[in-house]
Amino acid sequence: MKSPVGNPSERLVGVENVSHCFPAPEGGKDVLALDAVNMEIMRGEMVAFIGPSGCGKSTLLNVIGGMISPTSGAALVNGQAVSGPLPKQIAYIFQESALLPWATVLDNIKVGLEFQGVPKEDREGIAAAALKSVGLEAFAASYPHQLSGGMKQRVALARALSLRTDILLMDEPFAALDEQTRMIFGEDLSRLLASERKTIVLVTHSLAEAVLLCDRIFVFTSRPGRIKAVLMIDEPHPRTPSFMTSQRFSDLRNELYELLRDEVLAAIGNDRQGLS
Amino acid sequence: MSATGKGLPPPWVTRIGVIVGLVVLWEVLGRMGTALFFSPFSKVVISGHQIFFEAEVRQALLTTGWVLALAFVLSLILGLILGLAIAMSKFTYQTFMPVLLLLYAIPQITILPLFVLYFGNGPASKIAFGVSHGLFPVAVSVIAGVQGIKPILITSAASMGATRAQIFRRITLPYLVPSLFTGMRLASTAALLGVLLAELYASAGGVGHFTRRFSETFQPDKLYALIGALALMAIALNEAMRRLERRFSKWR
Amino acid sequence: MSGAAVGMEGVTGRLSRRGRWLSFLTKLAVFVALMLLWHAVTVTEIVSPFFLPQPGAVLTVFWRILSTGRVLPDLGVTFFEFAMAGPLAVVTGILAGYLISMTRYSTIVLEPVISSLYAIPIIIFYPISIMALGIGPESKIAHGALFGFFPICLNTIQGFGGVDAIYLRMARSAGATKAQLLRRILIPAAAPTILNGVRLGLMLCFLAIIGGETIASLEGLGHRIVWYAEGMQMTNMFAYIVFVILIATVMNVCLSLLELRRRGA
Repeated sequence: MKSPVGNPSERLVGVENVSHCFPAPEGGKDVLALDAVNMEIMRGEMVAFIGPSGCGKSTLLNVIGGMISPTSGAALVNGQAVSGPLPKQIAYIFQESALLPWATVLDNIKVGLEFQGVPKEDREGIAAAALKSVGLEAFAASYPHQLSGGMKQRVALARALSLRTDILLMDEPFAALDEQTRMIFGEDLSRLLASERKTIVLVTHSLAEAVLLCDRIFVFTSRPGRIKAVLMIDEPHPRTPSFMTSQRFSDLRNELYELLRDEVLAAIGNDRQGLS
Repeated sequence: MSATGKGLPPPWVTRIGVIVGLVVLWEVLGRMGTALFFSPFSKVVISGHQIFFEAEVRQALLTTGWVLALAFVLSLILGLILGLAIAMSKFTYQTFMPVLLLLYAIPQITILPLFVLYFGNGPASKIAFGVSHGLFPVAVSVIAGVQGIKPILITSAASMGATRAQIFRRITLPYLVPSLFTGMRLASTAALLGVLLAELYASAGGVGHFTRRFSETFQPDKLYALIGALALMAIALNEAMRRLERRFSKWR
Repeated sequence: MSGAAVGMEGVTGRLSRRGRWLSFLTKLAVFVALMLLWHAVTVTEIVSPFFLPQPGAVLTVFWRILSTGRVLPDLGVTFFEFAMAGPLAVVTGILAGYLISMTRYSTIVLEPVISSLYAIPIIIFYPISIMALGIGPESKIAHGALFGFFPICLNTIQGFGGVDAIYLRMARSAGATKAQLLRRILIPAAAPTILNGVRLGLMLCFLAIIGGETIASLEGLGHRIVWYAEGMQMTNMFAYIVFVILIATVMNVCLSLLELRRRGA
């Protein structure tokens, strides 16, 4: 699972033998979500977790982010075991933009900085700059319910960037967006991240997204989740639209599909038997 | 299917027509029937505004007013504390919510004599009874509000390093504002009910007492006037609360 | 700070098996502790018997009024009043609701009027019924029926009014008569909402009757409680209060079960 992208001393995130079991929902059996997963993520990499529903990719993301304590094994960030949220090192973006509905866009970003512990005087400046970087400075005084889904996610991105963390964890951030918004968002993201050199973990269902944006793709098996394969995408950042229409892109996508297909079928089989 | 139908007047016109029709009926029946309990509308209006000149009646309205205000404020405070305490964690919720609902379901009228026995005949028992009616809707609304907080907001805040106190101040409390206003609206009606009931029973001053007095001395015109005024005030209060609630729930 | 403690759980969702056990035990423990406290303070007379009777005594008297039938006269009166007022409220409520809901126009005109009236604390009409009908059962019946009328009527309007127009159109196009329309579509569709309203209405009717008896009456359960209160006979009073609360609870449970069964059917 080692990547040729960087040398071992650049390892930022490590996952060592992580398994996680969820307590039984309605008096059934306990659910094993992850089964002895090992991996490494290098500084500056963008990786994707992809797999069928219920394969534990979001769970693993939350283990890395310190939101869940794994039942066995540990995640490491910068060599330290993760035992809780790391607000100065990890920022999250979720599927639904977790914006506070009663606060303005700018205030939402400032609240995030307040939580992180940034002194009051600096918050306004940092928030405004982050908003500018995603092109939404005109909406600083707007409220979330006045924005479209895509814009809300861009604000969420601005908030995550404003926290100036090394690591960005994204849990299906584009899932609720329509196709066209998703494409534009993807391009923006690619451009932005190329300049910032952040380490990113993207949980996604979309094959195209994973191939378009990421350096490595971890393919998960159906529940209980293990790493089935790692796909390498050797294309430099920022990724251009021409890459997306290239034959190479198509081939990689097909390869990914083949890897996933069996797992998705297995997951559906699990559903039918009432195991998931 | 159009609301106005074919050639029918707009609803609000018909509504007024219905009310006017009822008033006319009232007038006619009042003149026909025994003056004992069916005072005609005209008489009610005439002697009606006279009672408000009586100092005693005005004092009674004031008394009920401040007792209600106090009961309302106390209901809010206690209801908020109780609601937050129960909604604090899954455990407290599962353990104490059923208890709250059980208490809420008790017909409080049965323990009214007990309240008066404990708190005496004066304003204290009225306030207490009003609070005991009003705090439940507030608590239940607050709990419903906390339940409505999307867990992702809390997760996101925690991931950014928010402490428990920060989450409470920045997320839980602002989120509760609309629920609190809903609770306030329900509490105002409930507290009014409690206070009036106590006044009818304990009968020591206040509007309830006067309605009883007019009833026992067979003065239907004054009774109707007072009750009419009360009814209008109750409707106005309810409407005012409803508007407030709407104003503070815009982002919901 | 583990992830679960970060507050990801919220208040929804189930507790773990252990948590559920603890929850049940806590409730039990609190209940037992309160009972013991009640017993302790009354037996030792830390709290005067003029304020709080002993729980054991209350239980004894409660059993006695049931077994010796002492409760019967008052129960009979209250029951009679309820037996008159309840059906009256249900019939008038459903009838009025049905008539009003028949056209959209009448619904829009009249429903707000009725729900505004509902916002008034109806107990202010107590003095009117007392003045008009005296302090006998008639005023309680009138009052109970009035109280119960509103939720039943409002729910009936909502129930019938909420029937999806498409069902009606479908039935009419298939040639259904008015009676068939009523039986096969309107009533089954509106039944859950109406039953809910009936439950609320009957409970309110009962409460209104007890309330009327409390405020001005010479007989009935509500009156008996007041009578004992004025005589400072705490044990008897508590016994009767427990009895009334028990009736109300049983009635509520029975009505709820009826409502749920009909909903499923």
